[in-house]
Amino acid sequence: MSVPRLIAVGYDGSADSVAALRWGAEIASTIGARLRIVHAVGLLEHAGLSGRCSPHEQAATDVACRVGLDIAQVEWRVRDGEPAAVLRRETLGDDAADLLVVGTRGAGAHGGGTLGSTSLDLAQTATVPVVVVAG
Amino acid sequence: MTTVVLAGPAGESAHDGGPHPESPARVVAAMKGVHDLHLGSDLVTVDVGPASREDLARVHSLRYLDELEAFSGRGGGALDPDTFVTSDSWDAACRAAGAGLAAVAELERRRDGVGFVAARPPGHHAVRSRGMGFCLLNNVAVTAASLVAGGARVAIVDWDVHHGNGTQEIFWDEPAVLYISTHQSPLYPGTGRPDEIGGARARGKTVNIPLPPGATGDVVSLAFSEVVAPAVDSFVPDWILVSCGFDAHRADPLAELALSSADFAALAATVQQLAPCGGRTVLFLEGGYDLQAVRRSTASTIGALVGDRTFPEDPTFGGPGADAVRAATMLRERALSEVDKECSGGGSLDAPHTGSRGAPTTRLRSDW
Repeated sequence: MSVPRLIAVGYDGSADSVAALRWGAEIASTIGARLRIVHAVGLLEHAGLSGRCSPHEQAATDVACRVGLDIAQVEWRVRDGEPAAVLRRETLGDDAADLLVVGTRGAGAHGGGTLGSTSLDLAQTATVPVVVVAG
Repeated sequence: MTTVVLAGPAGESAHDGGPHPESPARVVAAMKGVHDLHLGSDLVTVDVGPASREDLARVHSLRYLDELEAFSGRGGGALDPDTFVTSDSWDAACRAAGAGLAAVAELERRRDGVGFVAARPPGHHAVRSRGMGFCLLNNVAVTAASLVAGGARVAIVDWDVHHGNGTQEIFWDEPAVLYISTHQSPLYPGTGRPDEIGGARARGKTVNIPLPPGATGDVVSLAFSEVVAPAVDSFVPDWILVSCGFDAHRADPLAELALSSADFAALAATVQQLAPCGGRTVLFLEGGYDLQAVRRSTASTIGALVGDRTFPEDPTFGGPGADAVRAATMLRERALSEVDKECSGGGSLDAPHTGSRGAPTTRLRSDW
């Protein structure tokens, strides 16, 4: 595996996703990679019915910069879609990410097993390396 | 007059997540739409039983079925930020998955009529190994897989506003199933690009026509006349199943297409013209979260199938998307021809994802 140049981190504001973001930012800072913070918008959030505050760009980029990553190397991206599908798409086409980083469990997910697991889905289907960070 | 075989209601009181748009009231609204037509003896209601484990296992992994049943048995919770499970969700989902089978059995017995499945939770987002997007078990896929197991060829037409990623994934490499979707893009679940055309054994059997927000009924009808009808015609199905979401209605709170109930009637009429002899058409309620729109759209859609042309709303025209239909057609044709070229020239395709049993992302090595 070559050294990643663009790392995409799945971020939904949950504690696990913050841990994933922090890890991704530290790695990006260490190896000189760019970091793309990707938030997938679900059905309810799209309609403003999620009952939760949507993740905020400033809060996310602050996490990345606090570990020493240059703000110029950080990109915030919001896409409608199921998280695994959105992150898979980040690995396709021009300017594709060559490393995906996700937390073990996102916001709103249940507490055990593999039901609804984005990280498991990506680990099985992504065509680039995937790092799953425990919160 | 055409007989309507009604499988349902199912889910009209169970699987209740409280203040959530995917609510039991949706099935109640659909049933009101059916009864608004006053079909009398032309409406035949069939009992709905749960799909068997054998039926479910054709489209879902045993591990997922076990986990979902156990999770529901423990009282449930959130499957993801959109999707809830309650203590009675497993039973409700099994009944919803069985409803299409009941409709098919009755249509086969009668050799006439059209089926309507008024059941929830909806199904078309559920992939082989996961539920998502309000969906637990893939109802239309369970019925299609049962028909395929019996030797039939099945066309699934999905006009829900969201792409049916689950149905696409399940039949990605199944040559006996044609899956066609019109859907808003960008929107959840983020799949359904025109260059997603099917797996190696079923190249061209997946057809996607993404439409921009604001697209009106004339645009979706254009997609049906230019893409859906020719694709179904050349496939020559034994059955047509429709993932009949009503969330492309302009009043729906979850999306931004701009159809009216009369537009769904036009789509249904097109499907009816494509239907094999002796009926063999079943419509499955998928999405649709404005209750009045669901009621009106159900009445218009079924009304069109039985010859009732009294629509409470006018058809819609003038929205964006005609160019998108043509672009989708061109992208798909380009993808198919490049696949042919690469295969004959020894080139390679990106390997399809297989971890979730063939995730539908095989595409050419290009930037689109």
